[in-house]
Amino acid sequence: MDETLFAPLTTLGASLVLLFGVVLLWRRSLNAYIQAFKWQSVILSGVFFLVGYFGHDPELYGVGVALLGLKVFFIPHLLGRLRKRVGADHEITPYVNIATSLLIGGMLVLLAYVLMRPVVTVSTLPTRGALPLALGLVFIGLFVLITRKKAITQVVGFLVMENGIALLAVLGTYGIPLIIEMGVFLDLLMGILVMQVFIYQIQDTFESIDVDRLTHLKH
Amino acid sequence: MNAYLLELAQALISLAVAPLLVGFIGWLKARLQGRRGAPPWQPYFVLRKLFSKEVIVSEHASWLFRFAPYVVFGSGVAVTLLIPLFCVPLPFDAMGDLLMVVYLMLLGTFFLALAGLDPGTAFGGMGASREMTVAAIAEPTIALAIFSLALRAGSTNLGQIVVNTLADPTVALNAGHLLAFVALFVVTLAETGRIPIDNPSTHLELTMIHEAMILEHSGRHLALIEWASGLKLLIFFSLLANLFVPWGVATTLSPVYLLIALPIWIGKLGLLAVVVAVLETRLAKLRLFRVPELLSMSFVLALLAVISSFLLR
Repeated sequence: MDETLFAPLTTLGASLVLLFGVVLLWRRSLNAYIQAFKWQSVILSGVFFLVGYFGHDPELYGVGVALLGLKVFFIPHLLGRLRKRVGADHEITPYVNIATSLLIGGMLVLLAYVLMRPVVTVSTLPTRGALPLALGLVFIGLFVLITRKKAITQVVGFLVMENGIALLAVLGTYGIPLIIEMGVFLDLLMGILVMQVFIYQIQDTFESIDVDRLTHLKH
Repeated sequence: MNAYLLELAQALISLAVAPLLVGFIGWLKARLQGRRGAPPWQPYFVLRKLFSKEVIVSEHASWLFRFAPYVVFGSGVAVTLLIPLFCVPLPFDAMGDLLMVVYLMLLGTFFLALAGLDPGTAFGGMGASREMTVAAIAEPTIALAIFSLALRAGSTNLGQIVVNTLADPTVALNAGHLLAFVALFVVTLAETGRIPIDNPSTHLELTMIHEAMILEHSGRHLALIEWASGLKLLIFFSLLANLFVPWGVATTLSPVYLLIALPIWIGKLGLLAVVVAVLETRLAKLRLFRVPELLSMSFVLALLAVISSFLLR
């Protein structure tokens, strides 16, 4: 393929990844959260393959395949099972309502553009145009993490933030070495498993996974 | 001279095709839902029937009520003269740019809402207030979405945007382009009253928006409004098809190019119609209070599109 296509294609991929982040802010059903995360990860692994191809770094293919297996199949499956067992369906009352969330999400991406401006100006990477989008996704993930009440949506927020960081890494440095990437994935997997146990415990204790209830631990 | 004739021909062709587009979506939707459905050319019969019926106007209605259908139809026709359909650049491009197009469309919506309020019926007022709620967020989104393309092209002239995108195809592969497309697509669904925002195939439903406003109209007034709403669908589809995927639009006036460009344009419209029909079959209508949320999402996307076009020029 033509080298000149590299920059537009990565920007396109990054904006699709961000698009799923924004969709996350709009949706209410937990299933939609999980699906949005799943499709976001599909495109993210596509970006890994793209950078691997144009950056001539075959290791990135390995990372892409691992990402596909972990974030597209395993974690969504795990979350889906968790959702079924807990029986929670909707994020009914987030701390910040949906319309405001969307506007704040837009502002956060704007902030990312402003913060990244010096980097984008001095950088000579062909992928520099997509860097602010990746940082914006990190912010949006963090925002979902702190404004949603259900434990599962918070986990998805955490995962989206992680996706943003992975995107930032692959665009900014053409991927960290495979061994570190594998370590990160393993940490992530452990984190998810621990959170899963936590959620079961919260559900057992409070018969709900609203983290609001955690404020009164003593009965 | 030829260019002016072509401009006129474009408007006439759009007027002729618009009812077919509406009928085609309806037919395809019926097929997808396992019904036989009315044939795609059904709207032509409906228009003929309505034109031959007499107009009944409520005794409480003022001149505004009679006047509005002509404004709605007229603004629709005016917009088709200004937007790129299958040939660019054309002489009327100089008459109005994207802001003109957005405000002409808003003018039609505004008069439709006024005519809904005028006879003083409950449904009309309800529909008008809802339509304005939708339009208040949707119209700026259209302007912003197209504006992000204008920033890239360096001109707010719609014909010029198409020419510039054709000259430099990599422009079509950037962040602003994609986000603006999604934003404009959502707005298209909202403005033309399709599912998930409004249901075009029901008349008596408490959640209706567009249909509630036009309940009081009859005869040729209703025909003009129906025709204009078909035209609006065609206008939005053409904007989506030509501004974002401009390939196939003729850039010279030679008859050979025009003969190729016309079927390509019809094909693009057909493709979008298929997408809308499938969406309408798959999705359920949103609750009314969720509509502003969906629209504010599309607004945010359009805003992001402008930001990324502006900051990464």
